[in-house]
Formats: sequence, structure tokens, C-alpha cells
Amino acid sequence: MKRKLAIVFLLIIISLQIYNAFAIQRFPKPEFESGHTQPPTITPDPRSNALAILDVFVLVAALSIVSWLVVKKRSRKGVFWMSIFAVLYFGFFREGCVCSVGSLQNITLALFNPEYSIPITVIAFFILPIIYTLFFGRTFCAGVCPLGTLQDIFALRPMPIKSWLEKVLGIIPFIYLGLAVLYAATSTDFVICRYDPFIGFFRLDASFMMFMIGGIFLLIGVFIARPYCRFLCPYGALLNLVSRFSKKHITITPAECIQCRLCEDSCPFGAIDKPVLLKEKEERPIAVRRFVMLSIIIPLLILVGGFTGAQFHENLASVNSKVRLANELLNNTNYGETEQEAFEITAFNAAGQSKEELYNEAASIIRQFYYGGWILGGFIGLVFGLTLVSLSVFKYREDYTPNKGTCLSCARCVDYCPVLPENKVIIQK
Amino acid sequence: MNNNKQIFKVNIQLWKGIAIVAAAFSFIICFLIIANYLQINRLDPVNTEIINTLVERLSQNPNDEALKEEIRELDLLARKAYFTNQWQIRTGGYLLLIGVIIFLIAIQLINSAKKISPEVGEKDDNNLFLQKTARKWVSFGGIGLIIIALFFAFLTHNRLGETFTEAAFAENALNKEATSDETGSIQTPVETSVNETGQTDIEESTEQTTKTIKSSIADYPTAEMKENFPSFRGPGGNGIAYQKNIPVNWDGATRENILWKATVPLHGYNSPVIWGNKLFLSGANGSQRQVYCYDRNTGKLLWTANADNITGSPANAPKVTNDTGHSAPTVTTDGKKVFAIFSTGDVIAFDMNGKRVWAKNLGVPQNHYGYSSSLYVFKDKLIIQYDHRTESKVMALSVESGDIVWSTNRNGKISWASPVIVKTFDRVEILLLTDPFLASYDANTGEELWKIDCLYGEIGPSVAYADGIVYVTNEYASLVAIKIGDNPEKLWETYDYLSDVPSPVATDKYLFLATSYGVVVCHDAKTGDVLWEKEFNNGFYSSPILVEGKIYLLDKQGIMHIFKADKEYISLGEPKLGEKAVSTPAFANGRVYIRADKNLYCIGK
Amino acid sequence: MAKKEKKKKHNRRHFIDRSLRISIGLGLAGLGSFLIKKSISKEYVWQLDPEKCIQCGRCATSCVLTPSAVKCFHVYDMCGYCDLCGGYFRPETKKLTTAAENQLCPTSAIVRKFVEEPFFEYDIVEELCNGCGKCVKGCGAFGNGSLQLQVNHRLCVNCNECAIARDCPADAYQRVPMDDPYTFSGYRNKENKS
Repeated sequence: MKRKLAIVFLLIIISLQIYNAFAIQRFPKPEFESGHTQPPTITPDPRSNALAILDVFVLVAALSIVSWLVVKKRSRKGVFWMSIFAVLYFGFFREGCVCSVGSLQNITLALFNPEYSIPITVIAFFILPIIYTLFFGRTFCAGVCPLGTLQDIFALRPMPIKSWLEKVLGIIPFIYLGLAVLYAATSTDFVICRYDPFIGFFRLDASFMMFMIGGIFLLIGVFIARPYCRFLCPYGALLNLVSRFSKKHITITPAECIQCRLCEDSCPFGAIDKPVLLKEKEERPIAVRRFVMLSIIIPLLILVGGFTGAQFHENLASVNSKVRLANELLNNTNYGETEQEAFEITAFNAAGQSKEELYNEAASIIRQFYYGGWILGGFIGLVFGLTLVSLSVFKYREDYTPNKGTCLSCARCVDYCPVLPENKVIIQK
Repeated sequence: MNNNKQIFKVNIQLWKGIAIVAAAFSFIICFLIIANYLQINRLDPVNTEIINTLVERLSQNPNDEALKEEIRELDLLARKAYFTNQWQIRTGGYLLLIGVIIFLIAIQLINSAKKISPEVGEKDDNNLFLQKTARKWVSFGGIGLIIIALFFAFLTHNRLGETFTEAAFAENALNKEATSDETGSIQTPVETSVNETGQTDIEESTEQTTKTIKSSIADYPTAEMKENFPSFRGPGGNGIAYQKNIPVNWDGATRENILWKATVPLHGYNSPVIWGNKLFLSGANGSQRQVYCYDRNTGKLLWTANADNITGSPANAPKVTNDTGHSAPTVTTDGKKVFAIFSTGDVIAFDMNGKRVWAKNLGVPQNHYGYSSSLYVFKDKLIIQYDHRTESKVMALSVESGDIVWSTNRNGKISWASPVIVKTFDRVEILLLTDPFLASYDANTGEELWKIDCLYGEIGPSVAYADGIVYVTNEYASLVAIKIGDNPEKLWETYDYLSDVPSPVATDKYLFLATSYGVVVCHDAKTGDVLWEKEFNNGFYSSPILVEGKIYLLDKQGIMHIFKADKEYISLGEPKLGEKAVSTPAFANGRVYIRADKNLYCIGK
Repeated sequence: MAKKEKKKKHNRRHFIDRSLRISIGLGLAGLGSFLIKKSISKEYVWQLDPEKCIQCGRCATSCVLTPSAVKCFHVYDMCGYCDLCGGYFRPETKKLTTAAENQLCPTSAIVRKFVEEPFFEYDIVEELCNGCGKCVKGCGAFGNGSLQLQVNHRLCVNCNECAIARDCPADAYQRVPMDDPYTFSGYRNKENKS
């Protein structure tokens, strides 16, 4: 009873004092007379490291099998079953993280932030698909990436879209890539992970908003195959570049093309390049003039883009939590809250960092964004410039070939080709 | 072949039906889940206002049984609804998943049963035309993007960076005003205490401090540093502490005047430093390197920060001897950050909350005992003596980023001494001792100001400075007094008692020197005459500190010898700690902090 | 002749592709070896630092999982086994009973057990806890701070970037090595104090 009184008394004293003093041994641990033993604090272990290493092995195995199926066996069915496996293993079993798409941000963070040491498995997840792409084309996209394969399964009634639209939308992944790198490099945010529309399905749990976005993507994906892969995925943008120089890319025909045009509309991703014959070649003077113009316009575009990006840097930086905090403190806006002090400000006051330090830090982050804005803008300008170049180049082509950049190596077109490896033709009834 | 087709044909009808049913089912479930989602926010039991208001009402009339019942019912209802809702959504999710999977299987089966029917139509696919359209739209897209970006950029004025810099500047000015006001009141007692010993130059410099801070030219050590104990051997490392009311009696055995005692997790020969209410020190072994922050009033370990994962840090720490260890250098702080260096050459900065600000490796020092020079901060620079076998230099790193601000090569040998940073007549100099010379460097630029050959051997003690004279010593060499200036000259030199570990401490009139074999000697500062000498039972590794006109000198067995800084030996106390100690104590007003072999002690009343 | 021309063109293209392929490969190898130097073999997991935590309640709502993977953990080593527990009772509770109007926990996830006069033991029912941190705030303010919020790693899906870390106003979330995944405050170092 005495102890109880003492506690109440203490409580009154303490409650008059600082509210948030944490972890102070105010009341000593009792020694029990009844022989009561204190239970242990249970701390469940995380998923073991061995499983993470297993993931890398599964990734290598899956990449190898899919590459073999695509390049050697030319089997759409095999790729389809591998997609199912990828959705089940990399999607539902592993619940998503870390995936190759997101790993590019970890890589950037490791490059720019000296304090972050990157796990080896993450490096493997980033580099392995690129290496495989360098040899066999985007087989990773075809049947290993859980995000892509999930959409692939939903691609039930693909419809072709205008090729000019495809080109314009194809620039978006590069912009997204630039933004993701900028935000990861400034340790601001991992935007790719934050706005990953499909991870919620794998975890069967996400915010309502993300479920809606994911659902919309899948619904669109029924008609426009793999919208995320083609028009958003930043890792896909990287693989697109690498795949152009791949050693053994899938071909539509196993032998020589017989110009039957059967495969013409077989690709749900619009990634088959049609033959370009000599007669379509532009008149030489016009082409020359355009090239002179382009060679001037590319540096110009980089400059204009860089300038615009640098002007835009404040909008980019306002996402950063430190900048936001400094801004709210400076303007006394309290995060728009009227009833009580915003948690961010409470926490800042509790942490004991001086305002001077915070302002200096915010200023230096903004400076990073200023330079980042130049680089990002210049990069986007370059992408636009190169796209224009690729749209002005005349490439002589006799056969129907997959576009090595945008082709996802799904092997759908293979089934449309009537040519056999020995150059015989299947005669359809 | 025909048979197969037959089977598929039958199946198509069936699967079509299944697909339609599954789709309808999925839609219904989906709809229900969305409805449930919208509901969940209303049912959040964490923020049920009704219950909270009812409980408030209850506290006004605590015996209202009906009200109690009402609360209990409501609470149960709210919790039930919350968990049922979660269950519903989870179950709904599974059902939806099953529905969608069945739908997909059905559609995929139907698709696979269909024959591939390529269409070969006549299409207008003039390549040139397509390219032209694409070019047009790409250009439009680019122009649109630029216009939108510039529009938003125009809205934001692009002044945020400068605004922050200005705000930081304003804050800084505000803080400075506050500290200079505070120091004005604190300094008076310091001055009187100093007067007892007759140290006129310190008195002058404190007066100057007050003046110069007002005119915002930094003195050294600054008033802020003098209020604290920011580095090894006090501010600037000259062996002087500016605190008051320091206790002279305590007893480790009876715990008399021992306020708290805490075990330091990892061993280290470095000494504690103090800023505000925080006390910092470091510890290391071959594999771990840590910095600790204690609440100096309660002894609570506030944080432990690891110095690991540093780029360039060697996998195995270099070999060191047992009496040097992996963390001999003392940490330092400027009140905003804490800096530490270890035997591996890892330098690391933490903020006051233990968050890493930057870290780097300076290259593993080639040192057969182990790196031992302590760190100091001058303005925004971290000063590091880095004399080792392959190269010998002194450098300044930016406290903000760790980038090298300046680095000056010295053609010396390995030195274990720490820098001493003092304000001489019109500039701030870094005094550094090595075999065979004493050199002075401009703290702002790192430029070598002057240099004089004076000593040899494996140099351990740092220098002492007072009134324009630097005192340097080393075992098996000599004790030399050097008048500083662009043409430094030796004033006197003796060979009687020499130190190999503890550093001397000087006032205007006297020089005090302790030796590792137990003799303490007092010289006349100007002539070098021995005024008194006294032999103690235990030797000294810890350096003497002058505070309040008294010398505090800790021997290897943990006995603190306190005596007047005067021309006669007058003992003021010899309190025992009861634990071996080699580190130099740190001081705060009314407190002494001692890092003994295993424990950290706070002594005070 | 045309065929020869074509072949030549083909060869040139082949050569360009190949040299670009090799340079990409070399670039990748360079990047990889640079990163390997900075790498660690262990995975990271997310954990929150109770010292920084201000118990704002966002752990309960920001997690990608519902209910959140952040739970209240009871560090029994630090508990005073008080009768009047600041983490269990609402601040103005008069009678120390387990009645609903006295409980601070909105989901009733704390079980109060009598041990011996005058000590009570408090256990957290993990299934009911939603990580709102109300009890943690109460215990930290009035008691020893033995109730602490931590990410329960059996539940956590270890997102590449933790959604709570993004929303945490105190910046209390950090990546910690997976072999030491819990960061209780004042617990590990308790032994060192006398």
C-alpha cells in the first residue's frame, strides 16, 4: 500500500515535469517473493539471409531457363509457364522486394550516399538481368520480372496503338528513370517503389489508392498490353538501351524470312519493325538538311532541357522532407494544421537540431537539386533529341524483325511464322 | 488432332460460362471491398471521439454507473467492428484473388484453344509518313513539357535556396548574441579565479574574447569552448580548464561525492570531452569502433554510434600495442557535431544525436604503437596531425563534409603528440611537435609559420604554451622553452626530469611537469630553475590540468593529486578513485569526469 | 555487287554492335566492382529508434500492411510492474480495474495480470496490437519506458523503402543489419549501469 502511495506521489511530481522524458528507470524492477519469473521479450527473427541468397539463385535459374526457351527453344508456351512461375515466386511468395526495377535506386543511393552500404543480393538483382539482356535480349521482361509477367497474363485482348503515339509515350520511361535517379541520389525518396502499382496485389495489402491505380493498370492492360512495361518502367528503359546491342536476340523466323506478312500484327507491343524498302527513301537533299538541323538541335535541346530543369528545381526539391520542414518552419505554416503543433515540428524540437543547421542542410539539398535539375533536364533533352534522330534515320530493312529495343522477347510472334528451321514452310489448310 | 479440337470445342462453351461467372463474382467482391474500405476510416478505434468524450464526462462524476456501461458497450462495439472489418477485407481479398485467377484461367484456355488467325490487311503504313507524324508529336510533347515546367518554375520564384541560407545566417546571428550574453555573466568568476594564479594573459584574452565576439571576430579558444571541455586537455588542448567549484575530495570506495558511475562498453585510452549536458568518448577493439554519448548529469548512455561501413576502411585493424589500443585519440566536438578517429585512420563525424554526418578513411597510419593524436576543431575545420611512417602531415577537414580544406606536409617522423591550438599575439597557431622539430601552422590556411629543431626520439607529450613561450619535452632528450615568433629562439633547456607520456602545463610564471615514473616538478617559466620537485609512489600517464588555480593530476592507480599552481608544493587533497586510470579528466562546473580502466565516473556534490 | 555491299554494311553494323556490347559489359563490370567495395553481405531490415520516436501514431496507419507490422514490445527487463501503469490506464483513471473506460489501449491489446502485492505484469497481445503507440507514450511519460514500438520482423515484408519511414516525422526509421534487428532503448546497455 505504501508503495502504491509512493507511486501516486511520484506520478504527480513527474507529470508536472517534462512530458516526454523517455526510458528512465523511475521504478526499480521488483524482486518477486512468490517466485514469479519474468517472461522474456520475444523478438521474432526476420526472413533469413539464406533465403535472400536463394532468391539470387532462383533469379539466375529463371533467367537462364527463359533465355533458353526464347532463344533456343522458341517456345511461347514455355515462356508463359515461366511467367506463371515468376508471378508465383517473385510475386506472391517473395512479396516483391527487392526487385530489379527498384534496385536501380539502391544502386544510385550507394553511388551518391557514402553512408549507405548496399547488400550484395541487391547488386545481383540489378546487374544479372542487364547481363542476360546484353546476351539474349529482354528475356528478363519476358518471363522473370513479376510486374511484367503479371501484366502479360492480363493481356487478353491486345489492340495495336498508333506507332507515333507509341514513340511519344516511349519517352516517358526515360523521364521517370531520370526522376527516380535524382530522388534516390539526393536520398529523398524511392519513387519507383512508392508508386509500384502491382506490389499491393502480391502482398494482398496496400493502400486503397495504390490498389485502385494497380487495378486500373491491369484493366488497361487487358487491351493495351503491358502498359507499365512499355510506357513507365524505368528499368525497362535501361534494358531497352542495352538490348539494342544484344548478342543473340530472338528472331521471328528461324531461317530466312519469306515476306508472308503473317506476323505483321502478331506483336501486342508493336515491337515488330516492318521492311523499309528503298523506294521510301527520302530525297537526299531533304535528308541532309534535316541531319544538319538535328546536329544543331541536339546540343540545343540539352541546353534548353538543362535550363528548364534547373528552373524547375525548387518544385522538384519540395518533395524532400527536410526542405519541406525548413519551409514550414520558416513560414510558420505548421503543415497546414490548426489544432495542434504538427508532429514534424514537435519531433524537430525534440531532436535538438538547431534551426541554423536545418536551414543550411535544406539550402544544400536545394543546391543539389539545382545541379540535379540541370543534369536531369539535359538528359531529358538528349532523349528527345535522340528520339528525333531515330525518327529521321532511314534504315534499310528487307525482313520483318523484332525491334531489339522495345521487343520484350515474349516469343508470341514465333508461333505466327510458317517457316521451319530447315527453311521449309508449313502449309496451312 | 481432330479429337483434340473436339475436346476444346466442348470446353470453350463451358469455360466461357465459367469466365463470365468468375468475372461477375469478382466484380461483386470488388465492389464490396471498396465499400468496406470507405467504411474503415469511420471505424478507426484509435480515434473514436465519442468514447473519449464520454470518458471525460465520466471523470467529472466518477460514480455514474450507467455512463460506465455505455462506454463499455461502445468500446466493445467499436473494437468488434474494427476487427470484423479487417477480417472482411482480408477474406474479400482472397475471394477476389480466386475469382480473378479462375477468370484468367478460363480466358487463357479459350485463347489457347483458338487457332492463330493472322490478318493480312491492306494498310497504309508509309514509313516516311509515320516518322513524320511521330516527329511532330515528339516535338509537341517536348515543347509542352518545357512550357509546363517553366510555368511552375515561374510560380515558385526560385528563391528557396537563398532564403534558407539567409535564414540560417539570421539564426546564427541570433545564437551568437545569446551566447555572448551568457558568457558575459559567466566570465567574471573565471577571471577572478585566474587572478589568483596571476595569469594575466588569460585575463587579457578573456577580456578580448568578450570584445571580439561582439565584433564577431572569433578568438581561440572561443567563449563557448571555454564554457565546455570540448577536447583532450581542454579547449585548444593547452591543459587549462575554465570551470569553477571543482570538488577536491571524494572517495571511490565509500562512494562519497561519486554522483554516478557507468561501465564503458569498449575499452579505450582516450579521455572524455564535454559539451552542454553531453559527455562523449570512444572505445574500440580490433573489430569494433564506437563513440558513446552520456547524459553527464545522470550517467545514462544516450547513444552509441558505430564507426563501421566506412569506404576505404581496412578489413583488419592495424596491429597496435596494448598500452596504446585502437582508440587512443580523444574525440572532439564543436557543439554541433562530434568527431572521432581510430587506429585504422577512420575519421567520422556524428551529430549530437549520434546520427552519422560523414565518415572517411585517411589511409591506414603506419605506426608501430598505434595512432594516438587527438582531434581539435578550429572554427569550421577539424585539425588532424597525421604523422606516420610513410608520410607526415597536418591537415584540416571541413566539419560539414569531411573534405580536406588544407593539408601541409611535414618532413618529420612518427609523432604521438597531439596538436595544441593557441591564439598568440595576432593569430591562431597550431603547435605540433615531432622528431626533430617544433613547428607552427596557420590554423586558417595550414601555412607553416615557423619551425625550430629542438628534440628527438619517439615523441609522446604534447606541448604547453603560455605568454609567448612554448615548452616541449621528451624522455631521453630534454625540456626546452622556446620563444615563439617568426624567428623562434631557445630560452633555456634542462635535462633533469623528462616526460614520455604526460604533457606539461604552463602558466605565465611556472611550468609543471609530471613523469611516468612518479616525479612532479615545477620550473620557473622564464629561467628554467627548479622551484620544487616531489616524488610520488605511482607514476603518471594522465596529463595535469590547470583549473581554478589548482593542478589536477591523476596517477596510474587512480589517485588524484590536487595542489596549488604555485612556487611551493601545497597539497589540497589526494582523493582516491579505487580504479586504475590513465586518461586525462574532464571538467564541468562543480564536476570532475574521470575515465578509469573500465568505468566512467562523475564526481561532484 | 549489291550483295557484297550489303554484306559489308552488315559487317560494319556487327562490329559496332559488338564493340558497344563490350563497352557496356566493361561498364557494368566497373560499376559492379565499385559497388562490391561498398557492399555488405548482410541484408538490411527496417527498424525504428525508440529514442527518436515521438509516438505520433503514424506507424499504425502508414504501413503497407493492415494492421501495421509495427507492434508494441514489452521489455520486461525494464518494467517496474507498477499497479498504476501509465501505459495501461488512461491518465485520469480513479479505480485501477480492467474496465474498458480505464484502458488506454484502443484495441484492448494489453493484458494485466496480478503477480503479487503490489505488482502487476502486462503482456501485449500481438494479434490485437495495431502499433498506435498510445501505451508507449503513457509508459514513457509516467513510467520506465519499458513499452516500446518496434517493427515485428515476422510480419514486416521489408519493403525496399519503408512506407512508414517516409511518413515518420522524427526520422526514427533506419536500415539496420538483419542479424541485430531490434533497437530497444535503454535495454542492451542496462547491464552497464550500476
